[in-house]
Amino acid sequence: MIISFKKFGTTLNGRQFGRESFSAFNSSLKNIGKDENVIVDFGGVVTFTPSWGDEFLNPLVSKFGKRLTLKNTKNPSVQASLKILEEVYKKKFKIQN
Amino acid sequence: MESKLFTISQAAEMLGVSIQTLRRWDDSHKLCPIRKKKTGNRYYRKDNIDEFIKSNSKDLFILAKSWAASESEIKLPSIFYCQDISVFQARLSRLERDLGEIQRLKKMYPLISAITGEIGNNSFDHNLGNWPDTLGIFFAYDLSKGKVILADRGQGILTTLKRVKPELLTHQDALRVAFTEIISGRAPEYRGNGLKFVRNVIAANQISLFFQTGDAQLRIAENSPDLKIGKSNICLRGCLVSIKF
Repeated sequence: MIISFKKFGTTLNGRQFGRESFSAFNSSLKNIGKDENVIVDFGGVVTFTPSWGDEFLNPLVSKFGKRLTLKNTKNPSVQASLKILEEVYKKKFKIQN
Repeated sequence: MESKLFTISQAAEMLGVSIQTLRRWDDSHKLCPIRKKKTGNRYYRKDNIDEFIKSNSKDLFILAKSWAASESEIKLPSIFYCQDISVFQARLSRLERDLGEIQRLKKMYPLISAITGEIGNNSFDHNLGNWPDTLGIFFAYDLSKGKVILADRGQGILTTLKRVKPELLTHQDALRVAFTEIISGRAPEYRGNGLKFVRNVIAANQISLFFQTGDAQLRIAENSPDLKIGKSNICLRGCLVSIKF
């Protein structure tokens, strides 16, 4: 499954908005197969903050672990946010170039 | 395009002044309304109000500081006031768009927008249901001067951080922890790690920061991870922030 973050907006900021976005999408996660990979696509996102990211990515990391891959992460706010989240989670994200 | 018209009471609300003041400004030609009939009610164009606020608020930082430091609640012009997170989110999107049009910021502008978002969001997250008086934040920017200003009349960092670190005693210590330590035990305080993010971004970019909470003032110069934390003579209960780029 590919989760396209731009479908939530181009300015992804704030815990409240992050929580709302995740709970709106949560039901779609039930369709993901046991061995299916999950790709988060950051293409088209302009502003990405750790607070929004934590609310959405933390549950994905917990649920899918190594099956989770991120792509189109070149935006500087995406890169800076992922860096701090890696520090918090003490885990490296798998990035697809 | 025709600008929206506001009644005198709506204009007073937007400007943060009384109706009587607007009548005086009309008599002295400081801010002239339009009248549909010669002796009819006063109406104000939104464009004129916005322009008046901008040209009479030469220093956004001083305006934000006096609002944040005031003992009693002061009404803010509505263009600088975000009562809730949805208003802030909408204005942040506008900032993102405006920054994106500046050539010299072409690569960096998502970072300015992100640190602004993170700081403003912190104010809402940490004060939700606990605002001591005025809800919401001051948020304004002047892109010709490369400046974003934010402020709140919330509880401040020491009070909110004490929930996870009760050993903290001073605003200076709280500010240092907020900008340097990864807080892993989140409950019951959902303090994120946004200010560490802000510091990391400044350390690698031509952005500088001033941040005051309580009597603690922090400065981070552009392209530097170093925190300069001092003491102010003025104590703010909430936070006051200036981002320069």
